Amino acid sequence: MINIESLQFDEFEHDKPATDLASLSDSESAFIIDDLNLYYGDKKALSNVSMRIPKGQVTAFIGPSGCGKSTLLRCLNRMNDLIDNCCIEGDILLEQNNIFDRSVDVATLRRKVGMVFQRPNPFPKSIYENVVYGLRLQGIKDRRRLDQAVEDSLRGAALWEEVKDRLHDNALGLSGGQQQRLVIARAIAIEPEVLLLDEPTSALDPISTLVVEELISELKKKFTVVIVTHNMQQAARVSDNTAFMYMGELIEYSDTNTLFTTPAKKKTEDYITGRYG
Amino acid sequence: MGNWYKSGSPWIWLTSGAVSLSLIAVIGLLSLIAWRGLTYFWPATIYHFELTHPDGVIEQVIGEVYEKDTIAAQRLRDNGTFVAAGVEEVGSLLVKTGNREYVELDFRWLLSPSITAKVAHPDLAVFERNKNGNFYGYIDSLNLGSQVVTGDVATIRPQLLVAMERVDQLKAKALTLQNNEISSINYQLEKIRLAQRKLEIENKLTSQAIASFEQQRLTLNEQYLIHEKSLFAIRNEMTRDSVVVRDMRGEKVSLNLSSLLDLHLPNQMSLVEKVLHWLAAMASFVVDDPREANTEGGVFPAIFGTIFMVMLMAVIVTPFGVIAAIYLHEYAKKGVVTKFVRVAVINLAGVPSVVYGVFGLGFFVYILGGSIDELLYPEAAPSPVFGSPGVLWSALTLAILTLPVVIVSTEEGLSRIPMSLRQGSLALGATKSETLWKVIIPMASPAIMTGLILAVARAAGEVAPLMLVGVVKMAPTLPIDGNFPFIHLERKFMHLGFHIYDVGFQSPNVEAARPLVFASSFLLVTVIVGLNMTAIGIRNYLREKYRSLEH
Repeated sequence: MINIESLQFDEFEHDKPATDLASLSDSESAFIIDDLNLYYGDKKALSNVSMRIPKGQVTAFIGPSGCGKSTLLRCLNRMNDLIDNCCIEGDILLEQNNIFDRSVDVATLRRKVGMVFQRPNPFPKSIYENVVYGLRLQGIKDRRRLDQAVEDSLRGAALWEEVKDRLHDNALGLSGGQQQRLVIARAIAIEPEVLLLDEPTSALDPISTLVVEELISELKKKFTVVIVTHNMQQAARVSDNTAFMYMGELIEYSDTNTLFTTPAKKKTEDYITGRYG
Repeated sequence: MGNWYKSGSPWIWLTSGAVSLSLIAVIGLLSLIAWRGLTYFWPATIYHFELTHPDGVIEQVIGEVYEKDTIAAQRLRDNGTFVAAGVEEVGSLLVKTGNREYVELDFRWLLSPSITAKVAHPDLAVFERNKNGNFYGYIDSLNLGSQVVTGDVATIRPQLLVAMERVDQLKAKALTLQNNEISSINYQLEKIRLAQRKLEIENKLTSQAIASFEQQRLTLNEQYLIHEKSLFAIRNEMTRDSVVVRDMRGEKVSLNLSSLLDLHLPNQMSLVEKVLHWLAAMASFVVDDPREANTEGGVFPAIFGTIFMVMLMAVIVTPFGVIAAIYLHEYAKKGVVTKFVRVAVINLAGVPSVVYGVFGLGFFVYILGGSIDELLYPEAAPSPVFGSPGVLWSALTLAILTLPVVIVSTEEGLSRIPMSLRQGSLALGATKSETLWKVIIPMASPAIMTGLILAVARAAGEVAPLMLVGVVKMAPTLPIDGNFPFIHLERKFMHLGFHIYDVGFQSPNVEAARPLVFASSFLLVTVIVGLNMTAIGIRNYLREKYRSLEH
């Protein structure tokens, strides 16, 4: 149960005026999602989703379990390709290019659109090797460049001070929160344009959650961030815009302030006041 | 009682009982084999028996006691043997008397009532010979060419040892000459013959070429004659000395030193000397070549053949099985066909191994080997090169025999890798194959090693298919030697498992062979355990390195 009154609005860090999402221009949008439908076999998981995700901001997807918010996020870097019976209709444009186009190389797309998962999933390699994994894939071998990238990414993920003396230890020796930040460092090491976060703090303890949330506010200075979260306070704390989804449909999408204070739809209000969820 | 049942204790007892039983079975098996195999090398006490037969004839027997038994008196009476009235059971001893060329059987049963004296005389000597087994007797004198040494054992023995040392050196010299120089000349002669035959088949044989071949042959033959001459000279030197031994019949027998391998007087030896002798005997069992239809000597070629064949098999089966498993698990669509293929692969493991042997003979040896011979070695015809059983075909046959094991355990390893790691790699812009090479296969390597361990364990113990595709009783040469190209995969080889069968069931002298069967079995178990331990060590290292996420 969330009491709307208890949300401290002054802790929102929205200094700039809310973006008008409806009239966002093409160049201001990181993604333009147009009439997206997705089926898992016979089951429809997303229906007629259209939205524009603004560049350089944090956009949160919220909604009850099974509403399709993770599915929508996974469409953005085509992670759903891995699912055998998944069928997608509609377009998603990244820089005016349809990412479902035949000519698009999925690996290149994923290089531009990085992703962090629910559970920390570092490779069973050293911390250093984890961070440079993506760079090595791109064929970068220059030791100095790799070292620099490791330091920059780990600083960017607020992990450098904790691990700088044991870069060559196995990454699995880190705590859960550190592992999740390492995974974020690994994702930002390849300098993507967009960072997708799929419930990044759901497997973490409260203190690690706080650290990661602070990190998200830092990240938006460099990247467009799209985050899926279960936790409404988290959405309220970290995001600029929020999309509420229910049963595969996009119910309401506006700037976070508006959505949490004066929701336009009844369903949204019911959800954020905790009538269901 | 009801409470005791409910507490679950019976279940615990039942399960722990099952574990103990299996442990006892394994330990019992190993200790029986080890005991019977290892005591064979212990320098046993030699006894001089005096037998008085019921008809008053007195007989002397010298030998070591192999076994003790009791026989029902009635059975002996039925056989016509005299046994005193009132006696129910008669003790008997199995004695190895050696001296095979002078007695009918070198093992005989002595009935304890007829033994009137049993002495472990300190001067009794055991001679190990390269022919006809051991010789037991008293050293009488030493014949050193012109000089004859007589006296008691203490005076003769040091000189005898010096003379034996001299013969050993000559033997080593002869062996090097034979194995290096002479064998190399023979190998070159054969190569010249093949080269000439090749040109003949291709119709390119000119008189010039023939002359050149003849010239080479002449040079080699000249060299051969020189070596042969020196070899004969060495052999002549070797046969100079002989030792005269008084055997159990009381007759003096002259033994040429060139036929002797070892001399020891077990009744004089201290415990330390016995232990040293025991260790030396075991070492020579491991490093020596077999003698006398495999009933004497060592088993080195068999150990070498076993390990070489198993390693060759591992090298073949691992990449093959891993690649197949990767396709099945990572690329193949999950449908009926994949399921069918998987079931078929698993069922392959249930095919009797001898069937693989038949397949190997029919396909690898005759079809594949025959075609290779036709294409690459036409000059060797009609004698086959690859078209006859050999170590390569054995390794290939065992590789397909163990392929299912590798495929199944690799697939299991692949399916244990969490999906999140694959996604993590893909999300960083890796393609599927990059993910496979950089993340999945390294993480599956412990499972691959497990498959290899199981494959090696199965292959090392397999004998039946090998009898069809490459194992022989006695291989004249090892698959690896000093002649180019050094590794000869077409050669036949010896195998410990087959050696056990051969010595145990095909040997002319069963009693003599029995301890060797145990010793070879113990060695085979040791080799398999050794191979497995190596593989397990590597697996544990890999496991630690790619310790997976535990959540």
